[in-house]
Amino acid sequence: MDRPIVAAIYRNEMRHLLRDRRTVVMSIVLPLLVMPIMLFGSRWVEQRRQAKLQRSVFQVAVAGSQGEVVRQLLTAAEAATAAKGEPFRFREAAVADPDRALADKAVALVLRGLTAAEATAGTAEVGEGETGGGERSARSEPLLPGAPVVEIAYRGDRDDSEQAYRTLRGVLEEVRRQQRHARLVAAGFPGDPAGVVTVASVNVATAGQVAGLTLGRLVTVLLLLFMLSGGAVVATDSLAGEKERGTLETLLTSGAGRLDIVAAKLAAIFSVALLITLIQVANLLVYVGFELIPAPQDFAAAVPPRVAGLLLLLYLPMTALVAAALLLLSGYARSYKEAQLHFFPVFLLGLLPALAPLLPGVELRSAIVLVPIANVAVAAKEILVGVFDWPMLVLTFLVNAAAAAYLAVLAARALSNERLIAPLAVESERVPGPVAFQRKVLRNFAIMWAVLLVLAANMTADADIRVQIAVNLGVVFLGGTLLQLRAYRLDPREVFALRPVRPIVWLAVLVGAPAGLLTGLGVFQLANLVVPVPPEMLRAFGEILAPPDMPFWQIALFLCVMPGVIEELTFRGALLHGLRRRLHPVALALVVGLVFGLFHTSLFRIAPTAFLGVLFAAVTLLTGSIFPAMVWHALNNLLALAAGRAGIPLESLDPPLLAAAALILAAVFWILWRTRTVYPDLRGASPPGSRPVPFR
Amino acid sequence: MTAPVVVEGLTKVFYDEARGEVRAVDGVTFSCHAGEIFGLLGANGAGKTTTLRMIATVLAPTAGRAAVMGHDVTREAEAARRCLGFYSATTALYPRLTARETLEFFARINGVEASRIAARVEALVERFGLGEYADTRVDKLSSGMKQKVSVARTVAHDPPVLVFDEPTVGLDVLNALEMQKVIAEFRAEGKAIIFSTHIMSEAERLCDRIAIIHRGTIHACDTLQRLREATGKRYLEDIFVHYVAPAAPAG
Repeated sequence: MDRPIVAAIYRNEMRHLLRDRRTVVMSIVLPLLVMPIMLFGSRWVEQRRQAKLQRSVFQVAVAGSQGEVVRQLLTAAEAATAAKGEPFRFREAAVADPDRALADKAVALVLRGLTAAEATAGTAEVGEGETGGGERSARSEPLLPGAPVVEIAYRGDRDDSEQAYRTLRGVLEEVRRQQRHARLVAAGFPGDPAGVVTVASVNVATAGQVAGLTLGRLVTVLLLLFMLSGGAVVATDSLAGEKERGTLETLLTSGAGRLDIVAAKLAAIFSVALLITLIQVANLLVYVGFELIPAPQDFAAAVPPRVAGLLLLLYLPMTALVAAALLLLSGYARSYKEAQLHFFPVFLLGLLPALAPLLPGVELRSAIVLVPIANVAVAAKEILVGVFDWPMLVLTFLVNAAAAAYLAVLAARALSNERLIAPLAVESERVPGPVAFQRKVLRNFAIMWAVLLVLAANMTADADIRVQIAVNLGVVFLGGTLLQLRAYRLDPREVFALRPVRPIVWLAVLVGAPAGLLTGLGVFQLANLVVPVPPEMLRAFGEILAPPDMPFWQIALFLCVMPGVIEELTFRGALLHGLRRRLHPVALALVVGLVFGLFHTSLFRIAPTAFLGVLFAAVTLLTGSIFPAMVWHALNNLLALAAGRAGIPLESLDPPLLAAAALILAAVFWILWRTRTVYPDLRGASPPGSRPVPFR
Repeated sequence: MTAPVVVEGLTKVFYDEARGEVRAVDGVTFSCHAGEIFGLLGANGAGKTTTLRMIATVLAPTAGRAAVMGHDVTREAEAARRCLGFYSATTALYPRLTARETLEFFARINGVEASRIAARVEALVERFGLGEYADTRVDKLSSGMKQKVSVARTVAHDPPVLVFDEPTVGLDVLNALEMQKVIAEFRAEGKAIIFSTHIMSEAERLCDRIAIIHRGTIHACDTLQRLREATGKRYLEDIFVHYVAPAAPAG
């Protein structure tokens, strides 16, 4: 790398940015102004609202067989409020139909006096019509036999009703306490006070630690928000903007190296992202200082300078990572507009890992330390509550720095990718067909993934597992795959690789399935020595949930055959076929495996299923057929299930056994390699120029 | 001594999703000497720009080799680029820099010594008559002035090799003539110049040797005089058609 050249490009980049007045205004001045306007504005509105509600007098309707009890209670409440020198803000309104009056906003509340019997029955005229449609809150206390009940009906969707309810409920409960106390005293309270326990609690965490937890959970998301939005200003302009202006070609034909260019641009995005983040944080702190934003108690105690310094150090590689990701995005976009279009999903996706500290019980000393951004977020939370796990902090720093460097290299490579820098004059036609399928396959799978997530989120946990499997496999996987086949007019035999295989392959599959299962466990136990792997992840290997009362044929169908057939058609069929020309075979197997893992929405199942996915993809690539992977997959599930039924704890098998399994698996792949019938038409399989197509 | 630009069997195969493999440039061989304007004449899509981009190291060749001042474009891409100035109708300028800043920037990133930059920039401002506008932002300049700044930035580091890819596209007659004049001046200074165009009169007027390129291959390469003799035709248009016609019509 040539330092003077990097410096020159960096200066040019910054100069160009600062001279764009609109950008400067949008990215720095505007947020500086917007923040106070938003803060003051929302405070003003809130104060007005509160003041109005404080002043108003609420009309209430009285109903029920025990109306008189209600009126007496109201009178008592008025007296109690007056004793405290506060205005009583409730007036009874005479209405014919109390429920209708509440619906028509004529009254804010309906107070219904019920006898104990009516209340216990719980059906007394409420429960019909608009007013009774909502949830009935639990009573504050168990019913006293014989005591009347006052029910407050309110509208949770109306400010006035809600406010009236809160105020009146407080007052009424206070009155009730007083009445009870008076009666107990009058009756002489025949009991031993020693039998009444007073519960007291003490929080042994310092206020600083409590504040630290609150702050720690959110600080990374907030900073990331600033970094992404700040960095995007330069990044979009950086490569995508240069492409559009035509200056990129000028730059690429100059003496500057690709890495010099990327390094300079990275530095520019990094410094702007950092600067804007610091400005925004300072801005925020000013308002915290003026107490316009409520800060957690002992906010200052949570962040002593030493801690702030450490946090800054951790956030630096994360900023570099954000900068590199944005630059890469910009490099892959062909125009400014395209970069902006792609920014939003990246923005959301980037924020996701920063939410990791909100997961209950997540610790840095777990697999999370290997996830960039998420590890910083969790580390920040731990640091702020006073936990300093130094080796993991160093690892966190390194992981993010390495991820940033990797993305930077990818960005440099994007500058050598002719498709991106010098798109062919002729755009390929957008006709449905294998070509369009290859271009869209990843997008289509992303849509399928989103559908799966939505379904998973809406499926109740206790839904029948058979229904869940049928929906996921039958509707999302198979449905999505067949739709693509139809939309792109593809040949199912080609896409699904429905080809016969040599007999020896079946032998390899039979031996390979148990060996693969055990090797997977071994790999993760090995990984466990370096980075703690959550036991849930190990268990996920052998654990395939089957209700104990499910008959065997159903288990075999829903948990072995259907996944084996449908998941293979989807992932090792359609996905692998769609990506075969875009990725080198090794990368192809890895990507297919990873996507397969991601489709298993449980966090701890991603890695194990991805491992299996890679195996299945490799088998498919080596045999040129989907069938071996199908059988292997079904067998794998059957074995895991059988082990579970037989009570064999797969996750705690001896290392020598697992090592032996790995050797057997290697032998199986050696056989598959020696007898391979390679999947047709892979990338890099035919030397360039073997099928010349004349240029037009 | 080898020529400043040597191109041997240069080939570029694109993988186009719609059409499969596309041989945009197919075994192109030529060399360009100091003080010579070597013309690449071809229709749009003939492979001119792809060839020049490979020489300028923007694209990597699929096969064959090219060297600029002895530096291989694949193995010593940066060294090759520092010996080369690349100009095309699409190589734009940074709109928010002034003309002077532009020249300074390109001199710097092309490896001109820091101590010599100021003098070099002044010399360029002088030579291209930019004086009055030197401190005006590029986006405020007229297209003629922009063109001058653009040519000046191409030679900011005084490279021995210049590549002009259809430099007159989109220029009016006067500006196009001005461009031809400047290129001829560079030849007089002893630079090796590769010049691509699809305009016959330009090639006739300017080029010392002309290569007729069609569908990625060079069909003829010689001086205009020899091409005339070989084909028995007077006008370059006819000569062009003579070589290109047997290969079915361009798509």
